[in-house]
Amino acid sequence: MAERLPAMRRIANPSTRPGMVVLFVVMALGALAMLFPFIWTVVTSITPGAGLSFAPSLIVEDPSLEAYRTLFTERPFARIIGNSLLLATITTAIQLFTSATAAYAFSRLAFRGRTVVFAVYLSTMMIPLQVLIVPLFAQLKAFGLVNTYLGALLPTFASAFGIFLLREAVNQVPRELDEAATLDGAGHLRIFWTVILPNIRPALATLTVFAFMGSWNSFLWPLVVLRAPEMQTLPVALAGLQGQYTTAWDVVMAGSVVSILPMLAIYLFAQRYIVQGVASSGIK
Amino acid sequence: MKRSIPLAAIATAGIAALALTGCTSGTTDDGTVTITYTNFISNGGNEANLETIVAAFEAENPGITVDVTTLPYGDYGTALQTDLAAGTVSDVFDIEYANYLTYQANGVLAPLTVTDPAAYRPSLLEAYSTDGVQYALPSSFSTVVLFYNSDLFAAAGLETPTSDWTWADEEAAGLALTDQAAGVWGDHQPVSFYEFYKVLAQNGGEFLNSDGTAVAFNTPEGIEAAQWLVGKSGTTMPTIEQGQGTPDFDTNLFLDGKLAMLHTGIWMFGAFADVPFGWDIAVEPGNTNQASAVFSNAVGVSATSKHIEAATKWAEFLTSSTTMVDVRLQAGWELPPVSDESALAAYLELGDPANRQAVFDSLDQVALPPVVAVGQAEMQDIMTEELVEAQAGRKTVEQALADAETRINAVIGG
Amino acid sequence: MSGIAVGGRPTRIRSTAAAPRPAARRRARRDAIAAALFLLPSALPIVMFVLVPMLSAAWISLTSWNLISPATFVGFENYATLLTDPRTGEVFLHTLAYIVGYLPLVYVGGLAIALALNSALAGRTLLRGIYFLPVVTSWIAVALVWRWLLNPSNGVVNAALAAVGIAGPGWWTDPAWAMPSVIIASVWKDLGFVMVILLAGLQAIPSDLYDAARVDGAGWWQRLRHVTMPMLSPSTFFVVVISLINGFQVFDQVYAMTGGGPNGASTVVVQQIYDLTFRYGAAGEASALSWMLFIVILAVTVIQIRGQRRWVNYG
Repeated sequence: MAERLPAMRRIANPSTRPGMVVLFVVMALGALAMLFPFIWTVVTSITPGAGLSFAPSLIVEDPSLEAYRTLFTERPFARIIGNSLLLATITTAIQLFTSATAAYAFSRLAFRGRTVVFAVYLSTMMIPLQVLIVPLFAQLKAFGLVNTYLGALLPTFASAFGIFLLREAVNQVPRELDEAATLDGAGHLRIFWTVILPNIRPALATLTVFAFMGSWNSFLWPLVVLRAPEMQTLPVALAGLQGQYTTAWDVVMAGSVVSILPMLAIYLFAQRYIVQGVASSGIK
Repeated sequence: MKRSIPLAAIATAGIAALALTGCTSGTTDDGTVTITYTNFISNGGNEANLETIVAAFEAENPGITVDVTTLPYGDYGTALQTDLAAGTVSDVFDIEYANYLTYQANGVLAPLTVTDPAAYRPSLLEAYSTDGVQYALPSSFSTVVLFYNSDLFAAAGLETPTSDWTWADEEAAGLALTDQAAGVWGDHQPVSFYEFYKVLAQNGGEFLNSDGTAVAFNTPEGIEAAQWLVGKSGTTMPTIEQGQGTPDFDTNLFLDGKLAMLHTGIWMFGAFADVPFGWDIAVEPGNTNQASAVFSNAVGVSATSKHIEAATKWAEFLTSSTTMVDVRLQAGWELPPVSDESALAAYLELGDPANRQAVFDSLDQVALPPVVAVGQAEMQDIMTEELVEAQAGRKTVEQALADAETRINAVIGG
Repeated sequence: MSGIAVGGRPTRIRSTAAAPRPAARRRARRDAIAAALFLLPSALPIVMFVLVPMLSAAWISLTSWNLISPATFVGFENYATLLTDPRTGEVFLHTLAYIVGYLPLVYVGGLAIALALNSALAGRTLLRGIYFLPVVTSWIAVALVWRWLLNPSNGVVNAALAAVGIAGPGWWTDPAWAMPSVIIASVWKDLGFVMVILLAGLQAIPSDLYDAARVDGAGWWQRLRHVTMPMLSPSTFFVVVISLINGFQVFDQVYAMTGGGPNGASTVVVQQIYDLTFRYGAAGEASALSWMLFIVILAVTVIQIRGQRRWVNYG
């Protein structure tokens, strides 16, 4: 019975304890480097009337939550966060669906021109949005979907990134499992549902995080397609905190902090599935 | 995977429920007209103030409703141009002076019949008319003045700036007040296109030639003006390596009491209200002439609007009504472009700085930004780039101006 | 066409002698129908909302258009202008400099972190969260912080360098160091992304492979080279392909940290595309430039996909 834990755990035997301690110290220092900018963002957000001081200090004399209060009163931020949450959730759910089905097709189904079609899919990642935005906007205007949630969502329903990610994952699921299911009389749909999907859980969790993040931080498209104040999304509303001449940086930083929190929650939740992999990923 | 089902179900239901359509401009059955207005002027804190003005307008004009969209200033141009390209532009929209000529030349602004032209400051109104036709109405203006820390001047026993000062006076004071060891600097002025055309005017030069097809700043006056800007780096203000040019650098230095003189706009009055030292303003000293930079925003009516009359009414109300004047003055939301000085009297009594009169004095001699119909943004970018090269010491001032001339002529020529 | 496996695995060659032809044809047809069904959910949005605008963009590249007036047809003039403008080469060079600096650092760094966090390290769940944190932050705040950290005169980094006697460079105020500054900030931000992908890949490596290697006397480095890296190759392949595709289109972080300066020293291709479209009234030229970029990215990606059969291993 093969050990369930990843092999690298074997480092943790008594003779390499010092090694683990050193590793821990190094990683902890690295973690501090990762955290530091975030800490500074939080500090600036609780420094009332903060400008972008050239030599900011991490010690705040008069911490206050004024910036957060301003954030939620000046603009309907609760509603705006709700918009972002709604769009991100729907985008993620749909992308999981479209990516998984496409990944199955590219990995398991042989058909003429499969390589070409995959290349075409990939190529959609190779054109920057800045160039597509005007024609795309004109197209959605023709459909009458400007300033609607549906208009904001439609272009996000398929993601070549997600398809690519899941395709790699599906490729790693052993075909023997497919064959076993076929022998049991399963058709493609059942194989997809009962064999493939459960075995690519880590990839699905990873895609959940990235799809959510992509939608959450998306700026240019929501800027152009969602105009009504109650329909705007978070990044656009945060950009609106920067005025023509002056900017209240403490409020901007407060907005940044607020926008990170849901993302972090999603990641921590999904992390369990991303890491859990070994038991379900087709051990020989 | 059981997880996918509920999500997919939610998603489908969600989509079905979300086929909301946005607000459109139109005339409803009961005859009310809805006009759309896209703006950036209210973002960053003045949304409620704009709502007050809208409410007052709607009260006075029961048949008209105004639908307001507020966009971030930085990306406003992107959204506006996308709208123009796709044909979804609002009935009324904000523009900046710098872009006026481009929009007018491309025919996107409707000609306006102004019911009361006398209500506006003539110079501002003229800035937005071409060949005698009014294409936009100024909605606000701000000027750039010289701020100074009166405590630092007193401590050094120096006279504070007056309206008679020239560059020589400013330079002398700046050098005297700079104490690098103590981290105190005498005079900060940004090095950029926006400062250059102004100091050029202060030195009797012109940025563009008379028909706007080529630049005219590569002259001894121009070189002197550029040198005036560039020379401050490292002498009366920090260098780029020391942080000059980063966002809010100059205002932070002033707020910390470490800067004696500062060239910036009147929009900083609010930010400086609570500083622990005495401060005031003066009209910017010139050299051979006086010239102050004036920035203004305006509103235009779309040439393709279906409600030009209603839209024009809103545009006029937004830019010249007494409601608007009161709201702006009370909120410290830039200055209304009105000609009635008595309406602005309240402005003079609002507190620090004491010499608010200087704001109006600076309007006597104005340097408007040079505008061209093609290549405005490139012209500005190139000018700033070349000046910064000179400031960083990678080019001489003469070389920078010569290169700027060649490069700018290439993009604006014909 | 279907014989060439994009997935790197040879497609199952149906045994010719034994299987009856009609059954094989039926199966192939069923597969094709299934393929169409499975591809439909993604194909619809992709065709409508990406491919169609891409075609519009191709058309726009043949026009001169300032967005606010109707476009005028100019044929291939935009392409000619771009090919003769030294600025085009410059922005491609800057983009290349970014990629060359960024990719090795972010991959090696991400791999090291993933390996460390795959072990029995104390607090690794918390650490995984922390290392991922930069990935979810937005560039507004991050860019400002890094500008401050890399401040030439009193930023933390130069202060630390000065403490060991090195005079720190001008970072983002210095044309030569502007792009490296962006690279450093980008690597910092994306380490978590690479970590997540590689961690998932590491988790999938069966431990008996390591056991076998150990039995053969392989040390840590050899286990890395002969077990881990080959088994990780699909994830590596994914990271490299995606990083290259994104790297060529880098924009947000460069713009937020340096604005493309100083004096255009760090302007990348997508910034030029954005400026041409929305600031310089040259949407046609911008489109042409983006198609040039597209061809470059496509070529690079195709090379990798072809090459994957040699080194990517779907064990």
